[in-house]
Parts: sequence; C-alpha cells; structure tokens
Amino acid sequence: MHIVVAMRQLADLVEELEVNGDGTDIDRDFVKFVSNEWDEAALEEALTIKDESAASVTVVALDEPDVDQTLYAALAKGADRAVKLTGHDPSAWVRTRERAQRIASFLAHEEFDLVLTGVQAADDLDGQLAGILGSTLDIPHAAVVVGVELTGSSLRVAQELGGGLVGVSELELPAVLGVQAARQAPRYASITRIRQAMQTQKIEEQEVSLEVTTPQVTVRRLYPPEKQGGATMLTGSAKDVATEIVNILRSKGLV
Amino acid sequence: MLAIIETRKIFAGETEVAKIVFYVLALIVLVIFFVGVIRRLVVYNRGRRAPNFAWLRRRDPRDVPEVSERPTVPSSLVTIATNQTIIKTKHKVGVSHWLLFWGFIGLFLATSILSLDYDVLGNASRIITGHTYSFFQGPFYLAYNAVFDFAGLLALVGTVLLASRRWFSKEPQLDYTRAQKPESGYSRARIVIGDHVFVSGLLLILVTGLLIQGLRIDGEHFPSFEQWTWLGYLIGKGFAGLGVGAAAARAVHAWLWWVHVGLALAFVAYIPWSKAWHMLASPANLAVRDFSNVRRLPQPPADNAGYRSVDDLTPKELLGLDSCTKCGRCHVVCPARTGGAPLSPRDLILDLRQLADHKHGIPLLFDTETRPSPTGPMNEDGCLAGEVVVGETLWSCTTCMACVEICPVGIEHVPLIVQLRRTLVDQGAMDPTLQSALQNIATQGNSFGKSSRMRARWTKGLDFPIVDARTQHVEYLWFLGDFASFDERLMDISRTLATVLHANGISFGILFEEERNAGNDVRRVGEEGLFEMLVEQNMNAFAKASFDKIFTTDPHSFNTLRNEYPAFGLDRPVLHYSELLAKLLFTGKVAPGNLMRKVTYHDPCYLGRYNRIFEAPRAVISALGCDLVEMPRHGVNSFCCGAGGGRIWMDDSVLDERPSVNRIKEASTLDVDYFVVACPKDYAMFSDAVKTVGIEDKLKVVDIVELFAEATLSSALVDV
Ligand SMILES: Cc1cc2nc3c(=O)[nH]c(=O)nc-3n(C[C@H](O)[C@H](O)[C@H](O)COP(=O)(O)OP(=O)(O)OC[C@H]3O[C@@H](n4cnc5c(N)ncnc54)[C@H](O)[C@@H]3O)c2cc1C
Ligand code: SF4
Ligand code: SF4
Repeated sequence: MHIVVAMRQLADLVEELEVNGDGTDIDRDFVKFVSNEWDEAALEEALTIKDESAASVTVVALDEPDVDQTLYAALAKGADRAVKLTGHDPSAWVRTRERAQRIASFLAHEEFDLVLTGVQAADDLDGQLAGILGSTLDIPHAAVVVGVELTGSSLRVAQELGGGLVGVSELELPAVLGVQAARQAPRYASITRIRQAMQTQKIEEQEVSLEVTTPQVTVRRLYPPEKQGGATMLTGSAKDVATEIVNILRSKGLV
Repeated sequence: MLAIIETRKIFAGETEVAKIVFYVLALIVLVIFFVGVIRRLVVYNRGRRAPNFAWLRRRDPRDVPEVSERPTVPSSLVTIATNQTIIKTKHKVGVSHWLLFWGFIGLFLATSILSLDYDVLGNASRIITGHTYSFFQGPFYLAYNAVFDFAGLLALVGTVLLASRRWFSKEPQLDYTRAQKPESGYSRARIVIGDHVFVSGLLLILVTGLLIQGLRIDGEHFPSFEQWTWLGYLIGKGFAGLGVGAAAARAVHAWLWWVHVGLALAFVAYIPWSKAWHMLASPANLAVRDFSNVRRLPQPPADNAGYRSVDDLTPKELLGLDSCTKCGRCHVVCPARTGGAPLSPRDLILDLRQLADHKHGIPLLFDTETRPSPTGPMNEDGCLAGEVVVGETLWSCTTCMACVEICPVGIEHVPLIVQLRRTLVDQGAMDPTLQSALQNIATQGNSFGKSSRMRARWTKGLDFPIVDARTQHVEYLWFLGDFASFDERLMDISRTLATVLHANGISFGILFEEERNAGNDVRRVGEEGLFEMLVEQNMNAFAKASFDKIFTTDPHSFNTLRNEYPAFGLDRPVLHYSELLAKLLFTGKVAPGNLMRKVTYHDPCYLGRYNRIFEAPRAVISALGCDLVEMPRHGVNSFCCGAGGGRIWMDDSVLDERPSVNRIKEASTLDVDYFVVACPKDYAMFSDAVKTVGIEDKLKVVDIVELFAEATLSSALVDV
C-alpha cells in the first residue's frame, strides 16, 4: 500500500495580510508561510493507516515558501519519503488547476494506491484539488472525507454531507480523497525529531515542466471586504454599559 | 586481696557454644549486610553517566548562593548532623528524629568500641603476646557507661515519640492512599507493615538492650561502680523493686540477651534490603544534592529524547530514589495533589524505586505496592513515561518546586518529571491544547498564536515612544514574556510599568517583534528542541541589541534567562522588575508612599523558591506604605498558582479545586483588601480565582507596579 499525501503552504492567517501593489494577490514578501491545516489532517489519516497496515507514505508539495519545514515535519511524524516539485515560480500564487496538473504529472510516474489531500486550503477555499486530480488521473474521488477504512482492495469512506448527514461510500483503489478531518488530531512532531529528520533524511526534488497549461482563471481584483456600518463599542463601567444597552433596546422599541 | 576492677565480663553468662553461635550469626549477618550494600553501590555506579557527571559538581564562582550554588560538603555535614531539613518544617518530628539519630549513633559507637576492645585488641594481643589486653575497664569503663547510657536514653525518647506517631497519628502525610488510582486497584499494606517493622524493631532492640543492662546489674548484686551505668542501674533497681532477685535476673538475662542480640543482628541484615537503607542513603543524598539541577534542567540522555527505562537514571537519581523515607511531606504540599490531580511526588518516587529495585534484582522487604495486574511499578517492561508512570500524572506537575524544597533528604523530583515528560513529548502524547500552544510557539514565537508583529502592540496608547534596543543603546533590556505582551488584561500593567520607568528616567528598551517566548515552560513541558530553538532566536535578537542588563516581567522567563541562558552564552545580569522597583525606592530616586493599604503578597514559585527573591517585593510593598499581612504559606513555602511548567496551556477542568482557588481561599481568611502579585501569569490566574470564589469585591488582585504607580505617580490606577 502506497499512500501519497499532497500538501501545500499558505500564508499564516494570524498575520495581518495585505494586498499587493497590483491588487491581484496578497503581499507575499512579509508574511510567514505555514502548511494548510486540512493537509495536516490528510497526512494524519495517512499515518494512521500506516500505523494500522504497514503502508508507505510519500508526501508531495510544490516548492513554496517554508515548504521544507512542512516536509521535514511530515518525515519526522513518520512519512517515508518527501518530494518537492519545482519548475514554477515558488513565490507566486499557483491556482488549483495548475497545482493539480503538476501533482498529476508527478503521480504519472508513481505506483500508488491512494492519494490524500486536504478538502480545501484555508486561503483560497477552492476545494477542488482532489476532484481535479481524480478526473485527471481518471480514478474515483470523494470530497469532505471524515473517515477512511481499508477493506481489501477497496476503500470505505465516510463523507460529511449537507444537513449534518454522513454518507458512507465504497471506492475502488486507487482513489483520491479530499480529507476534512482525520480520525484523530494531527500528531505532534517535536522540534528535536524535525531537526533529526533534517540531518538524516533528504527531500527529493523533481522538476515538473508543463507543455500545455490548462486554462486558468485570472484574478482581476483582490480586496478586503468593504466596511458596512460597523458596530458601536460601548465603553465605561459594566453598569454604564448595561444602562446604555437598555436605552438602545428601549429606543428601538424592543423592550 | 583482690583489687576491684571496674568492668564487666563480655559474654557474661554465655557458654563457649553460645559464643560460637553468636560469632557465626554475626558473620552471616555481616555478609548479608555487605552483599546488600555492595549491590546497591554497584547499581548506583552503573547508572547513566552524562558526560559531565560528577558526584560533586565543581562549584562555580558565578553560581548564585542558594540558587545555582551547590552546598559545600561541610555545610551538608552540618545539615545532616543537625537534622535541619527534618526539623525545619516539622519541629516535633524533627527533634524526635534528632534524638533517635544521635542516640543510635552513640549506641553504634558503643558497640564498635566494645568490639574493638574485645574482638580486635583482645584477640590480637592474645595471639601476639599470649596475654589478653583490654581497655574496657577502670575509668574508661565508667565513662563509657555513663555516656552511652545517655545515648540510650536519647534514642529511647526519640524512638518512642516517632513510633507513637506512626501508631496513632492521623496526619495526611502518613496516609498511603495513592493520588493516581489504578483501575485494577492496589494495596500498600506491605509498605505500612514495613514502616511498623522498622520503627517497632528499633524500639524493641532498645528496650531489650536497656532491660538486659538492668538485669545484669541486678544479677551482679549492684556493684557500686555500676552507678556510673546510671540508666541500667536504675532499671536494675526497678527490677529489684519488683522483687526480681539476682538469680531470677540472671536467668531472665540469659534468654533476653539472645532476644536482644537476635533482633539487633536481624536489623543489621535488614538494613540494605528495606526502608532502613535510608539511614545510609539519605545522608549521602543530602551530601551530593545540587538543586541547580532544578533551576537549570539537565540535558536529555544522549540516545533518547527522554527517560524510558531505569537504565536512563543517573547514579544520583538512583541514590535519590533510595533515600526517600516516605515522610509524605512532598505529598502534602504538592499543589497538583492538593487540587485532586493524579500526581503525588511521593508516589512517583516510590513507584520508580520499586521498579528500579525489581529491575536490578534487589528484593525490597515489605516496602512494595502490590497490584492484581502488572501495571504501574509492577509493569516490568513498560516505558517509564506513560506506562509505569501514567501520562496524566506527569502532565499534572506545575514544576513549582515545593516538593524539592520540603524534601528532608534532598530528592530532586522536578528534573525527573521533566525527563519523563520529554519522552511523552517525543511520542506526541499530550493535551491538544498544549500541542497547539507548542505549535504556536514554534511558528509564531508566542503561545497566543498571534503574529510576532503584534508583540509590541501593547505600547500603543503610551504618550512616549518605547526605545527599540536594536537601534539605540539602553541600560535595561526589558524582556516582557508572552502574557505581558499579548494578554489584554496584562497589557495595561505593562503600560503602567513602562510609565513608571519612563517617569523615573530609566533607560530601557524592548526587542519588539524579535522577542520570542523565553522557553522556561517549554523546557519544563519537555520540549527540549523547541527550547533550544527559542534560545537561539532570542540570543540572535540579543546580539542585535545594545544593552547592559536585562529585566523581565515574567518570573518564568527570569528563571531561564538567569539560570539557563548563560550556558548558551548570555553574559548580562538579569533582574526581575520587582528588584528594579525596589532599587528605585532605595536609591532615593522615588520617595516612599503612604498608601495605607492592607495587603498580602503571593510569592511566585519561579521568583521565590526558584530564585530566592523574597525581600525585594516585600520591601517595595512596605516602602509604599502598605501593611503586609503574610499568608500562612509564604516565602519558601508559598503555594503555587497552578500555572507553571506548562500547566497554563493544559486543561484544568479535571481538577477538584484549582490551586489558584485554594490560594485565594487562604488569602480570604486574612484581614486584607489586596492580593499583590509580581507575575503576569499570577495576575491572570488569581483574577479568575477571586471570581470563582466570588469575592472579587472584597479582595482585589493587583500587580505590585500598580501599587507603585498609584503611590508615586499620584494617579489613582487602583480603586477599591
Ligand atoms: C470541498 C468542497 C467544499 C464546498 N463548500 C461549499 C460551501 O461551503 N458552500 C457552498 O455553497 N458550496 C460549497 N461547495 C460547492 C457545492 O457544495 C457543490 O459544488 C454544489 O452544491 C453542487 O452540488 P452537487 O455536488 O450535488 O452537484 P454536482 O453533482 O457537482 O452538480 C453540479 C451541477 O450540475 C447540475 N446537475 C447535476 N446532475 C444533473 C442532472 N442529472 N441533470 C441536470 N443537472 C444536473 C446540478 O444541479 C448542479 O447545478 C463545496 C464544494 C466542495 C468540493
Ligand atoms: S513540582 Fe510542585 S506540582 Fe510538581 S510534583 Fe513537585 S510539588 Fe507537585
Ligand atoms: S520524596 Fe522526600 S518529601 Fe517526599 S516522601 Fe520521600 S522523603 Fe518525603
């Protein structure tokens, strides 16, 4: 059983994000990059399967800021191999279709049974990588996966559906899954282990050159939502604030 | 005419056969004793030796007295001789122990002198000269008896007092109920039996010894010189008074002597295989104790992230385990145990000792816990961290150091706990909240998970700029720590401190976004790699800045900067802001105030117990004109707020009562209006606790700098 986990970097959302000069992307120069939390869930699910059934796990990611950190952390947690795909501008915003194409061209030379990736990325909330990969590779795909169970050559997955329902489906292997949550919280890799991984393991680099890129959407404008109205902050002691609230409610005829 | 020689016959009524039996028994006993001693010494010697291992670390002139300084051997000998560590928190018990201690040393000396005279000198002289010499006569004999009867009396009084405490006292420290209760159940009946065997055995040996002395003198018709053997003489008179005549006395003496000798020999044989081993291990442990290990944690073992098996224990740790007397003092003061957490430092030591003895093939008489299934200390092949000692136990520790402080035999519990936690961290076995705090610290450099660029946001709203120590030289580099930088409630206090310092013309600056969590609690959680990374980052930031000294708001950061960073190259003095405030007052820069407030003060563990700063904050409080009323637990005995050692990042809802609530209840019994703190985490913990207790209108938590500002800046920052 060989599981490939596709991971990606994105701007740390605790940072104050700013729009760049063109107004088409965030300013990537001054933000810190971290790994996408749903990809971490996908990795955790892969490692849990490995713990249960001696699978081997490969993590693959496009070259993006601080991606080495993420790949070494994955190795420290128990992944067997880490691959970094190059051949694109590492400081630019790679849209999901192109990302899928690049990962698919890596997978074309791999023997794999299962591809796991996060259901979506916390920045563009696109949610399409698993779907596009599935269709590009012509293998089954399921999104918003919250549980994975291996049953011989097929796979049983639980998906979160609308209205709080959970649907269980069966897929033929190989398959690609967009993971919403792993069975357990992502494990912790201590800094010592990460540093050990840096000393003892290597990240493979593979250049991917795309002959034809599929049509992409172009971003015309990126902007923070315009402020509408806004809240009035009441200040003063708890007593003053309470009186003020009562006054407002009265004046609106609510009490 | 026969001159009266003041002496007595050794082996008075005993036959030659009896003598031989005695010597054979004594020989067997000595063999059993020395086999036990040697096996234990071999075990210690085989302990894991870190590269810089030494039984007695070289004293370094840079060490801070009472903080990182190792006690000198002569001072340890005084500590041992005076039983000071036993007396300091429990006077009656300590004095009883002192009586027993010196009484038995006296009796041991007495027996040794006798053996020297009779067995060594007597035999040697007979073989060499054909004539048996003895100094056990005349004035020496009289003085010997007078002095050692006194030792006997001391031992008797001490032993009776201690034995009756064992028999009748209901004190919580003598209750062996575990803090962590295994599902399978457990029994500590054998441990209780061990205690009784030990103390009652001692008492029996003493009593039979004194009785045979009395019987002998009675049997010899009270020779007048035996009045020097005053205690035996009195007891003999007692027998005579009860109508025991000389012949009867001799008859009883004949068999009681065997009882006494049998018990004494059995006891000697029993020493290295039981609780009695503490008689030798504890003083040795006191002599090599080095509490700098608590302030400046040791490295993990070379081949593992943390401790996994008894093979990881160092010689000193193995000796420490053997020194535990189960006095239970640590069990009582532990804030985790008090709050209902499954941790008792005593149980931790006992579990590890039982397992270590078992693994080393040393049968421990009585002193073991039994369980129906092989868990805990009976889990021979289990990992020490997580299996032998369960994870929740290890995670409950606040690293408050109260156990180390109170332990009469100098055991260092905290470094052991951290070494075990390191294994749990390596396995990723931790609270999810702790995990995310560590991840935040690794990525953002602070536990709040906020952007490091927000670190100096608290400076907004000040009407003067804060100097960037990276661009301008300052006298003091202010290291705020995460809470003082990011916690909304504490940012106000940071601004107050900045205002006070600015108003007094102190040259200070900060590192802005480059300050990282100092790593004190990260290290105590057991995340050594992250700690090292933080040290690197902070040291890089220090290198960019220009300053003479550092002061911190947070006592935790203070501890690691002061005691641990020097090993990574920090060579500047480190102060706590309470010391800086004291300096302002005592160099006459600031006039004392007249606040007339009734306050109590909470010693933060990492400022007080860890770094021995008790006076500076108290001096500030009184100079500001406040009336300081001490809580029962203050100074070295201060009670932890429950936030230390990374506990602040873990779930507290499992506790019966948070330590901070326990503490506020203690303060609420005093007639004070203010609860003064000198630590940001304390402010956060106790502000919550007064609400929990529901006395926020009666007891107000204030930071010491708020009082300072009110008294010296005449701005009413604190209102009742
Ligand atoms: C990871 C992920 C996260 C998402 N999160 C959100 C979210 O938070 N909020 C949100 O609003 N949306 C979200 N979406 C998008 C949304 O859920 C679906 O794409 C959308 O609801 C389409 O539903 P479907 O999958 O059933 O349609 P599909 O089966 O994909 O069909 C797409 C379209 O084809 C039409 N169609 C399908 N079958 C037929 C047929 N037989 N005859 C005629 N027409 C047909 C459908 O009516 C529909 O318009 C998310 C999608 C993904 C993959
Ligand atoms: S350091 Fe404090 S919390 Fe930890 S075991 Fe010792 S007394 Fe208990
Ligand atoms: S560890 Fe120290 S304080 Fe605790 S029970 Fe043992 S001897 Fe007493």
